[in-house]
Amino acid sequence: MKVSRRDLLIGSAGATAGLLLTPVPWKLLGDVSIWTQNFPWIPQPVHGPVETKYSVCTLCDGGCGIRVRMAANCPVGVAGVSSHPLTKGALCPLAFAAHQLNWHPRRLREVRHAGRAASWAEAQAAFEKACVEGPIAIVDGRPGRAVSSVFEAFTRKHNGSYRVVLSAESQALAPYAAWSGVPVTSLGYDLENARTVVSFGAPVLDGWGTPGRFTRLWSERAAGAADPQLRLIQIEPSLSRTAARAWRWVPVREGSEAELAAGVARVLLEEHLVTPQGPMPQLSLAEAAAQAGLTTEAIRNLARTMVENRPVVVIAADGNPAIAALNVLLGAVAAPGGIVRKRRRVQSHIPADPVPGRLRAVLVDSTVPWEFAAPTDAEVFRFAAWDGGGNGAGWLLPAPGFLEELTDVPTSPTSALETYAVALNLAVPPTEVQSAAQFLLQIDPTLPTGEKVIHAHCEEIFRARQGTVYGEHPIAVTKLDSAQHLEEQLRKGAVWMGDPQSAGKFRCELKEWPMENCVSHASSWARAWAPPVFPPLATKLYQESNLREPPAGRQA
Amino acid sequence: MTVRRDLLVFAIGIGLAIATGWTAFPRALYVQREQPLEFHHKTHSEKSGLTQCDSCHALASDGEFGGIPRIETCAGCHAEKIGTSKSEATLVDGYIKLSREIPWLVYSRQPANVWFSHAIHTRRAGLACSDCHGTFGESDQPRIYEQNRISGYSRDIWGHSISRLRRARHDGMKMSDCEDCHHRHNVEVGCNGCHK
Repeated sequence: MKVSRRDLLIGSAGATAGLLLTPVPWKLLGDVSIWTQNFPWIPQPVHGPVETKYSVCTLCDGGCGIRVRMAANCPVGVAGVSSHPLTKGALCPLAFAAHQLNWHPRRLREVRHAGRAASWAEAQAAFEKACVEGPIAIVDGRPGRAVSSVFEAFTRKHNGSYRVVLSAESQALAPYAAWSGVPVTSLGYDLENARTVVSFGAPVLDGWGTPGRFTRLWSERAAGAADPQLRLIQIEPSLSRTAARAWRWVPVREGSEAELAAGVARVLLEEHLVTPQGPMPQLSLAEAAAQAGLTTEAIRNLARTMVENRPVVVIAADGNPAIAALNVLLGAVAAPGGIVRKRRRVQSHIPADPVPGRLRAVLVDSTVPWEFAAPTDAEVFRFAAWDGGGNGAGWLLPAPGFLEELTDVPTSPTSALETYAVALNLAVPPTEVQSAAQFLLQIDPTLPTGEKVIHAHCEEIFRARQGTVYGEHPIAVTKLDSAQHLEEQLRKGAVWMGDPQSAGKFRCELKEWPMENCVSHASSWARAWAPPVFPPLATKLYQESNLREPPAGRQA
Repeated sequence: MTVRRDLLVFAIGIGLAIATGWTAFPRALYVQREQPLEFHHKTHSEKSGLTQCDSCHALASDGEFGGIPRIETCAGCHAEKIGTSKSEATLVDGYIKLSREIPWLVYSRQPANVWFSHAIHTRRAGLACSDCHGTFGESDQPRIYEQNRISGYSRDIWGHSISRLRRARHDGMKMSDCEDCHHRHNVEVGCNGCHK
């Protein structure tokens, strides 16, 4: 029988139809889709021995304890540490995916000058020249670290100025510092002893302060309870994640928080709900209600609810003095469950905003939020691990990413107790990076290294013989043999915490109700968010669940 | 006559495709690779008294799964050659004395974006190792490792039956298998449970 062309075509058609009855097309489709996940240019964690290391998160200044899963010496997973005294295993969503950040497409991988590739030698030469021509300034986003000492030492020797950019949490404590004379870095919130927390827009359940701390307190003492031990009253225009989980949500008109605070203060004083410790606001209750978009009865109820379950502490989202004044009125300053002084001797810092004029150069550390733009014509040397885009820095210098740098983590701005921890460089940077401190040490090798400062700090803690080191098991400092032993513990991921002490004595005096200068820093939280990019998993969680809306331009 | 012939040719085409698709395709899809050493689970359990899986594949106190034992574990018994086999000589001279890890081909290796906790499944859910790994622990010779030419993963992930019908309980480790088991036991973990 002769096979014709027609037979071949019909046979092929039959074979095609028959293939659909076999696993061939379906299996190939599945395998090819899996193959696309394994393209050679997609970074894959290497296979190797799996181990667990303990450290401290360095994404923000909160200092949450982290447990890092390492495969072949590369971080492949991050989780909380249940033995951490403040966070007890709680973490923010960004930290859970932080190990992905080092592989972000917007990771800075080369030195750039005016948009073009340059070298470290050129950057160093340019900065050395600027130092000679002077003056210069160094801007730090997290004062109190070992590298901050390097910055300060450099500016002292080279006739420069050391400036800091305060986090939103620190800005919220600034009014108390102004009224009491106690430095901002010495103040904190005694949340563990509070029974009512009134938040004026601060995202206390969404990355505020030490993110795991309030989340843990809320889960232990409030989650799911109709009458919780810890009452969270969230005053905010929109139903944010914090507002949705709060015991009470008070929706107010945007920008009217100061007026509402004045209205609440008036009710507290008029109804004798508090011992008079401050002046009566000039704003009437009706005016406050009209401004805030609430009824006068709603404000009365809010004031009564606030004092129902004491101690009560009010938390502002920014440095609004009218909201801070409520704490003075409620007697929550220098009192358990309120604003407390955590240490006596502390250095105060000069804020970077405004940067003094006529500067030759400004060096901006990678901890400074990406949005910070030095308001000066100086040459800017911007260190960053990730390119946040369009901030106009003359020099972009690639800095170590997450867990790529040995650094210490001093007390969080909101903490009521002193803490100290060391975060090790667990990951190897994928490219040639330098921290700002390493950069300065190359210019001036006589500066103290960060390691030396950490060692000195450990010796200082050891000599003071107080506090406890929380590692696998808590150990009192008095039971440690030496400062070296303390440092070893900290390098293994333990955290030192000072002994709880009674609220340090200080006084806040209000001569008049602060309605003026109520500047609302709507972007403060965005500014406080240090990484300019999000890891893929966190991006999905953040954007799709409204955990926190990323500012425009950061939705990478 | 032409129509009948056409139908016959069409049917032959279908038949050939079905026969090829079900018999030749699975063979062509997987490439067979040999393990670097011969390893006998049965010998180790019978002669060395390592009767429990976690004698070698240990879970740490924090629940971390050790996976395949490191070369130091093997060196505990095989610091010197035991027996005269070629594999024994390779093990001692090629790996233990050089402190080199053995590049085992792992039958159950999952993609890098999968997080799986052995501790949760064995300790909390009470699953036996054999529920997922079958009777591998009783084998007296290493199985041939079959690697998918396209995806690069072991055949154990898809399962040995290309149709995935009438499979044994432990046959297959795809995401759908995890989902089916979770569904049967009414355990919901969401996407983030495994894809952290």
